Amino acid sequence: MLIKIQFFIGALSVILLIITFELIRKEKLREEYSLLWLFTGAVILIFSIWPEYFLSRFFSQITGIFYLSAVVLLAFMFLLLIVFHFSVVISRLSSQNKELAQRYALMELELREFKNRQSLSQNR
Amino acid sequence: MSQPNQNSLDEPLKNILVIIPAYNEEGSIEMVVKEVHTSSPLAKVLVVNDGSTDLTSEKAKACGATVLDLPFNLGIGGAMQAGYKYAFEKGYEMAVQVDGDGQHDSKEIPKLIKALEDKEVDMVIGSRFIGYSEFKSSMMRRIGINIFSAVISLIIRQKITDPTSGFRAANRRTIQLFTIHYPQDYPEPEALVLLHKSGHKMAEVPIVMSHRVAGESSITKLRSVYYMVKVLLAIIVDCFKKSTV
Repeated sequence: MLIKIQFFIGALSVILLIITFELIRKEKLREEYSLLWLFTGAVILIFSIWPEYFLSRFFSQITGIFYLSAVVLLAFMFLLLIVFHFSVVISRLSSQNKELAQRYALMELELREFKNRQSLSQNR
Repeated sequence: MSQPNQNSLDEPLKNILVIIPAYNEEGSIEMVVKEVHTSSPLAKVLVVNDGSTDLTSEKAKACGATVLDLPFNLGIGGAMQAGYKYAFEKGYEMAVQVDGDGQHDSKEIPKLIKALEDKEVDMVIGSRFIGYSEFKSSMMRRIGINIFSAVISLIIRQKITDPTSGFRAANRRTIQLFTIHYPQDYPEPEALVLLHKSGHKMAEVPIVMSHRVAGESSITKLRSVYYMVKVLLAIIVDCFKKSTV
C-alpha cells in the first residue's frame, strides 16, 4: 500500500519536473513562474524517494501525522503558495494593462487630431 | 512661441478641462456636452468613452467634444485617470469632472472653479448636502453616505458632507497626483483620503443635483453593501500606505 502511493507520487513529481522543464525550454513558461513548480516537484520527489528519512522519522515525529497526510498537506501548502504568487502576478498585469489602455487611447486621440490638422491645412 | 500652460490669446480655451467619463450614455451625453458648452464656453470638453458599446463616442464627437476612446471598459477609476492624464499632458491648469448621465448641473461649474481659486485649495467638491437641498435619495444611500462622511471626516480631520460626489474641480497639483495614483472601482471617497495623505487641501461648496436623466446608477441596491465594505476596506488600507508625494 505505502509502496504504491510512494511510487505513484514519485512518478507524478518526475512528470511535473519534465513538463516544467520542457515548457521552459520551449519558452512557453517564463523562468520566474516556473521556479515554484520546479521546487514543488523536487521536494515531492525527495519525499517519495526517502520517505522514512524526511517523513517517518522527522516530519511525522514533529507533527504526528502519517505519510500520506503529510504529503497531501505539503502539496496543499505549495499549491497555496503558487496560487498566491499568481494573484500577485495578475494584480501587476491588470495594472500594467490599465496603463497600456490609457496610453493607447491618448496616443490614438493625438494621432486623430494630428491627421485632422493635416487634412485641414492641405485643403486650405 | 507661447508657453503651453499659459492662457495666451490664440488659445483662450487652454486653461480649464471638463472631463466627462461615459459608459453607454448615448441617451444623455449630447445634452451633457451641450450644457457644459453653454455654461462654460471657455472650457474644453473631454468625453472619456470607457469602452461603450453604443453610440456614446459618435454622439459626443458630433457635439464638438474631444473624445478619448478607451479600447475596452476600465471602470470609472481608470477612465477618470485617463482624463486626468490628458489634462496633465496638455498643460491644463484646472480640471472639472462631471458625470455623463446628466445628474450634475453644469451651471454649477463656474462656482466650483471660482471656489478653487478663491479658497486656495487643491480640490473642490460639489456637495448635495450643504445649505438648501432638494436632493432626495433612498434611505440606504443616505445611510451609506453618512457612514462614508463620518469615516472620511475622521481620517482627514475635516468635515466632508458628500464624499461620494463625483462633481469636482481639481487644480494642476491634484491633476498631477491623480495621473500617478487614482483608485479603481468607486474612486470618489478613496481619492479624498489619497489627497489628504499627500498634503492636498480640499473644500466643499453647495450644489444642486438633479436625478439622473438616463442610464442606471453604477450602484444598485444589491451591490450597495458590497460597495460600502469594499470602499471602507480600501480607505483603511490607504491609511497604512506610504504617502506618495
